Parts: sequence; structure tokens; C-alpha cells
Amino acid sequence: MSNFFGRINEGAKKKVQTLQEYFILAWKALRFIFARPFYGRDVIQQMDEIGVKSLGIVLLTGFFTGMVLALQTLVQLKTFGATMFIGRLVSAAMIRELGPVLAGLMVAGRVGSGIAAQLGSMRVTEQIDALNTLGTDPIKKLVTPRVLAALIMLPVLTVINDFVGIIGGNIIATTMAGVPTGFYWRTVWDQIAVDGFAFRYIPIDFIQGLTKPFVFGGIISITACYFGLNTTGGTEGVGQATTRTVVAASISILIVDYFITQLLMAIFTS
Amino acid sequence: MTDPKDRKWMEGGESGARSSGAEGDVKSSGADSKHSAPMGPGNDGSDEKGTDAEGVDSGGSGAIAPDASAEPSSGARAGATRPAGQKRRGEDKAKDQKAKDIRSAIRNELAADDDEDGGGDSEAQHTKTVIELKDVSLAFDEPILENISFPVLHGETVVVVGESGTGKSTILKLILRLLVPDDGQVSISGQDITHLSFEEALDVRQKMGMVFQGAALFDSMTVMENIAYPLREHTKLTEEEIEERVREKLQFVDLDPDKVMEQLPSELSGGMKKRVGIARGMANNPEIMLYDEPTSGLDPLTTATITRLIKKLQQELDVTSIVVSHDIRSAKWMASKIALLHDKKIRFFGSPEDMIASEDDYIKDFLGGLG
Repeated sequence: MSNFFGRINEGAKKKVQTLQEYFILAWKALRFIFARPFYGRDVIQQMDEIGVKSLGIVLLTGFFTGMVLALQTLVQLKTFGATMFIGRLVSAAMIRELGPVLAGLMVAGRVGSGIAAQLGSMRVTEQIDALNTLGTDPIKKLVTPRVLAALIMLPVLTVINDFVGIIGGNIIATTMAGVPTGFYWRTVWDQIAVDGFAFRYIPIDFIQGLTKPFVFGGIISITACYFGLNTTGGTEGVGQATTRTVVAASISILIVDYFITQLLMAIFTS
Repeated sequence: MTDPKDRKWMEGGESGARSSGAEGDVKSSGADSKHSAPMGPGNDGSDEKGTDAEGVDSGGSGAIAPDASAEPSSGARAGATRPAGQKRRGEDKAKDQKAKDIRSAIRNELAADDDEDGGGDSEAQHTKTVIELKDVSLAFDEPILENISFPVLHGETVVVVGESGTGKSTILKLILRLLVPDDGQVSISGQDITHLSFEEALDVRQKMGMVFQGAALFDSMTVMENIAYPLREHTKLTEEEIEERVREKLQFVDLDPDKVMEQLPSELSGGMKKRVGIARGMANNPEIMLYDEPTSGLDPLTTATITRLIKKLQQELDVTSIVVSHDIRSAKWMASKIALLHDKKIRFFGSPEDMIASEDDYIKDFLGGLG
């Protein structure tokens, strides 16, 4: 019996230690954004890798999600004769939830796995040790540029995702429900403005829609770097690190999304 | 979720450092082959021939070799027509001169560095302890090293040998302060490095060059970028000066800069990777070079080339070195002293001759009739 509790104790300790190390890595990565030397070239390279190269899947995801969203809701709205409100529904769903979450999940799959595989390979081929012995902090050189690039690029990708999603909705609304494009976009703006503005000019919907991808960018990059740097067991370990990254980052995005929504609603509705 | 032994990136925190990996050695399978090539100066000629196939500057390498007279290519030269032979001899002379210039330039750089440090009597320097381990003990789940002590004097090459999993590579990690001992002290140039902060440890590491078992070249960078990396990170040299330094180092390790500089590590052979690894390790003109299994997985000819390079670094540039190796034949040839690890302790520390003459049964078994 005591052996059983002992094992539970050990397991719990390991989990807590993992969490502790995760947050230490996150803290160091963020702190090094403001510490010399700055690896500007690496940041630009990672922005290209994380942002520009993810554009294709984000455009496709956003466009088709917007279309299918409009298609499904039109069926319901028709029953109430409320098809004119399709723009409001699509924009609210895309800007507040679907845009950030889908962009986050897509980037977690494409970029998170890539970062974990790259750092994992560097780890098992002793390149991380080589950086250390050459007097470079691997967190500063490898983690910080990736985290910074993800923090910048995820909101950008989300804005693009939102926009093409709303365009997708527009196409369906116009072709299948006969909603005029001008009217559609006016309802989109009505929805954006309906919750009011923070700091006078920034729609609250935008704050919600841009806070989330910022946090998701941090979660994806730090999770990927954590699993990548802790890779053990050769090439098999690299495979495990990428799988763990995608699973952990995706689940974290969905869970954190709920809590951010609750928090922001509490702040702005009060 | 992950093995705490391998969390090296956490080593900024002391506890993380203590628990980070000794895996390099502990888990090594001992795949190192027993090289049967006779080792020593007399073997260098065939070695040069072997390395030519890898695209090296053969003229340069022949010139730099300590025993240029043993070059095997003389037979081939005799068969050539006279004017062609004369022309080739002329080219060889030019390459000899070039190699001499490189050696002299590197020596001058090192001398300049020494002057900046206050210079000093070279005799006194050779009795100066550069690296010292005092009663070092380290354990993870179980003890790895117990009361390890040995000094390394200036300009010496100490080869650490022992069976797989005895903690040889761990010793290098302790010297690099990638690991912190549970007990004891590791000193570099008289400075105890055991209690340094992560940032201070990074500074100390700049005195050292490390050559990894698999070379550990950055695979996203070209050979030029790999060797230039420490220079770009830690010096204010201009791009022209950096390129000049990279060329020097490549020529020193018998590689043709024009051929390899723009190549990626994936385009190089195993021996060439090791040599680029050595060039990167020595790019910053470190006082200390550390080698982790520099000859493992290489054919006998390339093994001889790498061994010769390590000896050349010691003889010509007076670099203090620690080499971790399974290869007792190479060790015998390049070592000033040999440290034999057995059962977590130093079983023998002394000259190769003393080791061969030893009556200890374990040492005799380990040498396997080499003496």
C-alpha cells in the first residue's frame, strides 16, 4: 500500500517538476527578448518560417471555415427569416473564436511539430551541447527567437484567417441567401461595434480576438521548444517529441481559450 | 515526462545542472571499432593518401605533416615526365611555404594572445597546471565517478581511456561545467569553476574548444558559418578577418577552404566532419582542447589523420588537450599521460610507457597485449 502511495508521490513530483521547468523555460525565453545579444536575423528567419510559410494553410482553413459556417447557420436562420444577420454571426464567430483557435491549431500542427523536430534533432546530435560549449546560451539563441516570432506572427495570421473567413461567409451569403455584399459587410461592422470600444478606438471584439493568438503563439512555441530541448532516445525520441508537442499544444490552446474568454468577458462586460 | 538526466538546457539552475546528462558515456554502446592500422609517424604517408579522396589539400597536408619525408606520393612523381615533375615540385614548394606561413600566423596569434595575458616564461608555463580535478564525485541514480583527481599541465595531452559507461565523457562535461560535481572541485587555470553562475560558465567555456563524437556541426549552417560561429559571437573581427581565420583553420586541419567552405555538413564525409569540428573548436584560439571520442566510427586511415592533427595541435600550438577515447593505439601515440578509468575511479594515471610497463592485471587485460 505504502509502495502504491510512494509511486503516486513520485509521479506527482515529476509532473510538478515538468511544469516548473516549463515555466522556467518560458520565463527565460521572455526575459531574453530584452537581453543582449539580440539575434535579429534568427527572429526574422523564424517569422518567415512560422508566419509566411503558414499562410497557405491558414488561408485555406479560414476560407472554408467561413463558408461552412455560413452554410450551416443559413439553414437555421432561414427558419426564423433572419438570413440578413448572417454577417453578424460569421464575423462574431470568426473574430472571437474560430479565427484564433483554428489559426492556433494549424500553427501548432505545422510549426510546433517542426520546431520540436528541429530542436530534438539538434539535441540528439549534440548541437545543443555544442552551442553551450561555444559560449552561447541555447535558450537565447534558439528559444527566444522562436517565441518572439510566434508572438508576433500568430496575431497576424489570425487577422488574415478572420478576414478570409468573413469573405468565405460573404460568398455563401450572397450566392445562396441573396444577401447583398454591402449589407453583409455593414452587418459585420455592426457586430464589431456592438460590444463597444476599449481605449475609445479599439473594438472589444478585436481585443478578444488578438489577445488569444498572442497567448497561443507563446503556448505553441514554448511547448515545442520544451519538448524539443528535452528529447532523449535518438530519432525515436524526436518522433515522440513532435507528437507530444502537437497534442499538448492543441489541448492547451482549447483549454486556455475557455479561460481567456471567461476572463475577457468578465473584464469587458463589467 | 522527460528524463531529468537530459535537461541540459536547465543547467543555469544549479539543480538542473547536477541532474543533467551523463548519457553520452553512460549510455554509449562501445561501438568504437578496434583499429588495426599501425599508429605512429611512419603511418602518416598512407594517411595522407587516404584523406586526399575526401577533397583535402594534399600538398598542404603533406607539408604540414611532421614526417613529410615519408610521403608516399614520391613514387608516383618519379613516373611523371620531367617538366611535369618539376612543375609539381614547384607547386609542392609553394604549398609547403603556404603551410609554413599558416603555422607561423597561428603561432603569432597565440603569442599575441599570450602577450596580452602578460606573457611569461615558457618553461614555467609547462609546469603550470591548466586543468585540475580534485576529489571529484558525481552520482545520478547511482554513482558515476568517485574521488577523481588528476592535473593536466600546460601543453600536455591527457587521454582518458576506459570501458564504455565508466564516465569518461562525464569528465569532459565536468570540465566544461555542463555538469556540476556533487563533491570535489574542478579548476581551470587556477579558477574553481564548480560554483560559477551560468553566465560566468559561458565565459570560461570560451577558453576551451570542444570536439564532439559526432562533430555536432550545425547542420543548417555551411562549413564557413560553423567555424565562424564562435568568432561572430564573441569577437569584434570584421568579416574579412573572420574569413581569413576560417581559411587558416581549415588549412591547418588539412582541408581545402575553397572546396569545403560553402558546403553543408551533410555533404561532408565522417572524417571531414571531424576535421571541421576540430577547426571550429580551435577557431577562437582556445588554450584548452577537449575531444570526445575523436576517432570513433572512422576508418584506420582517417583515424590516423585525426590522431596526427591532435598531436600537431599540441606540438605546434602548445595547446593543452584532454582526449576521451576507446582507441588505446591512438592514445599511446598522442598522449603525454593516460588516465585509465575503472569502477568509477582512476585506476592509472601516468605516461603511456609506464602504463605499458605496468604489472597490474586489469591494465594488462585492458591493453590486450599492446605493449
